[in-house]
Amino acid sequence: MSILLAHFNSNGRERFVVQEKGKIHVENENKGFKNLKLLENRNEFISDVFSDGKIEGDGVFDFRYGPVTAGVGEAGVYHLYTYGERILSVKIDTFYKRRALDDKMIAMNVNDALKTVRHVSGNFSVSHSLAFSRAIEDALNVEVDDEVKRLRAIALELERIYNHVHVISKLASAAAQLVLSAHLSELFEDSLCVNETFSGSRYLCDFVRIGGVSKIPSDKALNSVLKEIERIKKDFADLYKNSMDSANYIDRLHSTAILNAQDAMAIGLTGPSLRACNVKEDLRMNDETFKSLRIVTDEEGDSLSRMEVRAEEVLESMKFIETNMGKLNPKETAKTVLTENGEGLGWCESPSGTVLYHADVEDFKIKDLYVSTPSVFGMAAIAHSIVGNIFTDFPFAVDSFGVNFADAAR
Amino acid sequence: MRWWPIVGMTKMMTEDKKYESKVRVKKMKIFKRSLNIYTVDVGNCNVLNFEMQALKSPKYNIHRFGIYSAASPKHADLLIVLGKPTKEMVEPLRCTIEQLPEPFGILLIKGCEDDGIDPNELKLPNVVASMDGCPNPSEILAVLLKISGRSD
Repeated sequence: MSILLAHFNSNGRERFVVQEKGKIHVENENKGFKNLKLLENRNEFISDVFSDGKIEGDGVFDFRYGPVTAGVGEAGVYHLYTYGERILSVKIDTFYKRRALDDKMIAMNVNDALKTVRHVSGNFSVSHSLAFSRAIEDALNVEVDDEVKRLRAIALELERIYNHVHVISKLASAAAQLVLSAHLSELFEDSLCVNETFSGSRYLCDFVRIGGVSKIPSDKALNSVLKEIERIKKDFADLYKNSMDSANYIDRLHSTAILNAQDAMAIGLTGPSLRACNVKEDLRMNDETFKSLRIVTDEEGDSLSRMEVRAEEVLESMKFIETNMGKLNPKETAKTVLTENGEGLGWCESPSGTVLYHADVEDFKIKDLYVSTPSVFGMAAIAHSIVGNIFTDFPFAVDSFGVNFADAAR
Repeated sequence: MRWWPIVGMTKMMTEDKKYESKVRVKKMKIFKRSLNIYTVDVGNCNVLNFEMQALKSPKYNIHRFGIYSAASPKHADLLIVLGKPTKEMVEPLRCTIEQLPEPFGILLIKGCEDDGIDPNELKLPNVVASMDGCPNPSEILAVLLKISGRSD
């Protein structure tokens, strides 16, 4: 089944960008995609794609959670329709956080636009800059050195590690596993320090450039990264193993916010949340750079499965970094861009799913841009899977999808 | 026999460096050694939200300085505004400030984006300090220590 990620008009023609079996392709006609409305409304609100979200009845009211709360922690609003305990429907407002960065990039020079791209979502800065750079490279016919691709892959996996550890730490904290959460948040901070050693920025900002990378880490830095990764891997594996023995922890996550594979794909969900529904769908599958990577899947599609997939992915990503870190010897940091015009599509597997950019370039300037972010579909999946659950399940449903408003609202 | 009861300790064992900042802080004598903070995101790119999470990790152990996060602005001494507000967030920000009990302080951390409204232009009351860019947790902690009167 194909997953619709983007819908836009280009050169007067309607385009539907879909992901299928780890590959991206463009369709010219609507093949009954259910999430078209979701894509249309995403700058204002996100709701369940299978219902209109309107619930009326005795005692049903709109419990408004946000935009200023300690729980959500971001400028967004969850409208929970309920009669007291059970959540009947969810609508999520994204416009509070809408900075319209994709609109602001129009008419910008491609290199200036790249600087703006990383602000779309700071914690997915590598994913966004990589997908954008690939779109521009596709448009302007730039070939990237294999060694540079490997460096970019390492940065992408470093980003995955800290994001996944952060998500699991939040889940542990929501389940009142405070010791586990404290240990994980320490590892989260440690992995941010690893990023700083690797690229000079705690969030790997400005590492990916169009045609290459901004700098090649020194051997000393790489050795220290490897050493730290080895330690974090050991600590994380121990914590994960011990946490899975805690019945209190497992009980809170198990059978919370269940999503089946069919619905997940119709919503447009990708990334670890889809893999937790037993769908082997990952853009890294068909990427030569990632051929040593094992794709993790799980069967149940609940918060526990999503947590397990993320935890296993942390270990897999660290293994990938350990095997690919040695012998880095790129000839040049970035290729020079020769052509000035073109149209291109770029994508990458971010920690929460597919990030996709479509760019139309004229005289090195952005003429048209379409951005598809994983949090839009993740939030729609929250709105669908949380129905029938109760208030106390809310943090497990929300945190397990690893979404954020910055990414969804752009 | 432990050595520190006899020799004494000049600094805390968990401390490998001092937290120092050049950011100018308006002194409020009311904050003495303890600080309850409440953070509000007004449209930052999420880096500042993550940095606040990192600050709460055991590595910085902010509780030993009497710094706690409040669950509601009504319990807070200090409001930390993360980012440059989007148009829609100006009103919720003002409403949050109205909820703060007197006396209170506001710390602005502006983030490194160019867009959004400069929070200094909003003329918010009791701004005690303003930080540019995306500071890391130890820089934020240094400013919090200055505000709580634990360092100069």
